[in-house]
Amino acid sequence: MCIIRASVTAVPQLLVSTVLLGGIYALIAVGLTLIFGIMRVVNFAHGEFLMLGMYLAFWAFTLLALDPYVLLFVSIPLFFGAGLLTYTLVMKGVIHASHNVQIFTTVGLSIALQNVALVLWTGDFRFVRPWYYSVVVRLGGTAFNLSQIAAFVVSVGFTVALFAFMKWSYTGRVMRATAQDRDAASLMGIDTDRVYGLTWAIGIVCVGVAGVLLAPLYPVYPTAGLQFVLLAYVVVVLGGLGDMVGALLGSLIVAAVEVVGSYVFGTAWKEVLYFLLFIAILLIRPAGLFGQRGTETLGV
Amino acid sequence: MRHWRAALVISVLVAFAGLAVTTSQGQSLTGEYKIGVLEPLTGPIAFEGKRHLEGYEMMRDLINERGGVMGKRLVFAVGDASDPTAAASEVTRLITREGVKILTGTYSSTLCGAASEAAARHNAIYWETSCVDPRFTRRGLKNVFRTEIDGTGFGWYNIEFIAKHLAPRFNLKPNQLKIAFLSEDSSYGQGVTEAARQRAKQEFGMQEVAAEYYAFATTNDFTPIILKLKQLNPDVVHQIARGNDAVIFWRQSREQNVLFKALVHAGATGYGSPDFGKALGTDGNGPFALLEPGPGFRVEVLRPEGQKIETAFRGIVQRKTGSYPLGGHQLAAGGLWLLKLVLDQAKTDDLEKFRAAVMALDLPVGSSVNGWGAKFADNGQNANERVQHYMLQWQGGQLVTVWPEEFTTNRAKWIPLGPWDQRK
Repeated sequence: MCIIRASVTAVPQLLVSTVLLGGIYALIAVGLTLIFGIMRVVNFAHGEFLMLGMYLAFWAFTLLALDPYVLLFVSIPLFFGAGLLTYTLVMKGVIHASHNVQIFTTVGLSIALQNVALVLWTGDFRFVRPWYYSVVVRLGGTAFNLSQIAAFVVSVGFTVALFAFMKWSYTGRVMRATAQDRDAASLMGIDTDRVYGLTWAIGIVCVGVAGVLLAPLYPVYPTAGLQFVLLAYVVVVLGGLGDMVGALLGSLIVAAVEVVGSYVFGTAWKEVLYFLLFIAILLIRPAGLFGQRGTETLGV
Repeated sequence: MRHWRAALVISVLVAFAGLAVTTSQGQSLTGEYKIGVLEPLTGPIAFEGKRHLEGYEMMRDLINERGGVMGKRLVFAVGDASDPTAAASEVTRLITREGVKILTGTYSSTLCGAASEAAARHNAIYWETSCVDPRFTRRGLKNVFRTEIDGTGFGWYNIEFIAKHLAPRFNLKPNQLKIAFLSEDSSYGQGVTEAARQRAKQEFGMQEVAAEYYAFATTNDFTPIILKLKQLNPDVVHQIARGNDAVIFWRQSREQNVLFKALVHAGATGYGSPDFGKALGTDGNGPFALLEPGPGFRVEVLRPEGQKIETAFRGIVQRKTGSYPLGGHQLAAGGLWLLKLVLDQAKTDDLEKFRAAVMALDLPVGSSVNGWGAKFADNGQNANERVQHYMLQWQGGQLVTVWPEEFTTNRAKWIPLGPWDQRK
């Protein structure tokens, strides 16, 4: 283990890196926590929808010269449609099945999507290089990439919008009611199947948009989603199941542990540190930092 | 009637002439000889596995144009070794269902151990062409052979380059050099890095300022490491990268404006992969990667037999891909060509006789593809000093050969690396 005395000059950059990396994790985790919280489904194919978002950005940029930020608006209806389609074809049949069946189904979907990408687009790394891909902003002794700032801003925007949607819209209330008690919601006349379809589609939109935004920052390849999605599970459990703000704050905590832990103790220790934190939170507060006590018993 | 007879004679002559043309070396190929080829064709390292498979296929075609193996047409049964478990089960499938007695592969150090153990259980020959984990040939397995150098060889070469080529150009003695070691944490990365650390310290007294390992698949931000490097101010960063970690580290080093004098890598992944250039273009100018020869390589310095096969292989790659052979192509092809030489000598795949032919093979440097030679030790490892390697540098968005200087027309640039915007 390499322990280094933290240099004062490094502190602002560590803070900035934490916030920007946390933004990327939040972007991925928001969709996952929505599906997790409302449907009680652990979506193991979440990373693959992220990968599809990255490929969409790559092909749109390569074939149509479409900038990822312009594509963002097109990708929302596209992923909403993809979400409804996968729900109807795959998830609808297992939504009332046991968790084991749901897990096997989403793992199967994950492997199928990875291999479809491999067959269609090969395992080669692809890169999206818009004019701003290497633009560096320097401010007060810190430096950051323009694309990372954009990803962070969009992730905060999505989190706030989803939070508002869930809190104040009629559909949001219906979704929360379904999450709290599926049978009672049905008895109240709520079409729970429609709610699940909508939830799945919104979750897929979130992660698809995340993929589009990450494409200028990271290489695009069939298993690109795997490098982020494990962390997203940690974030979701840490922040509280189904809690948007919890996902955002959980992302920042995980990013802080990763960045500061890597700097102080060494990179090899970062996963040890945040998984220790993860276990500690589960032991002390099983519902997550911001989840309501008792929600962990609702089904996950 | 006379016309009919004449036509028959001519037809027979033409048929024989055709046969002679199809086997350009004048040998007719009788039947097929099948070997198992095992590469990761799905999963996170499939991109490199597929390049190796391309290399094998192009060399197989070349071998078949040159008399095949043991007078037979060489054919492949291909297995997908996406992870160590799949590698072991694919070995079993290839041996039991496809009937192969020789297997080759597998590119990755995380796969070759499991695959070769499985082959040993069936008493099959395992001919490794790429993985460099030093432990691979230290298990006392008599069925295992490796044509590529091991990780200690990579570490040896890198430190040789740093001490004897870079240090004088920095106006420093090797023992004045501050060096930081950074590596992904697979057996490949650790094997190369530990060998380099040992030689740097014991033989040259270099000052090690940092040694960090990271998980390449889950490290999304290198800023903490880069901030540490800024503080420690190394002259040389010795990094063994695996994939996109090279791209992210280099891009973030530029963002943080960290100025080390050189970055040295080894192997066909990370900085040694064409993907690095695709991602960064000329922003990626500067890093060195120890590899097989690239553009600038002087084929005329090889021995005549080496020149012939190297030129033929480059030609077939150029025709099929439109570019210079990539590292994966060269490793696979170099290894497969040596397998042909051994099989032609042994005339059998019986393990004892095959092994005797391997041990008898004695080719000086410059005799084969990539300028390699061959002299295998009792543990099945080709001698590191016979497997000539070359230092390539990213210049103008492509990797070019820069060292040893007698093998190349190019020269290393940006020593030391200047400001980031002046490396064009």
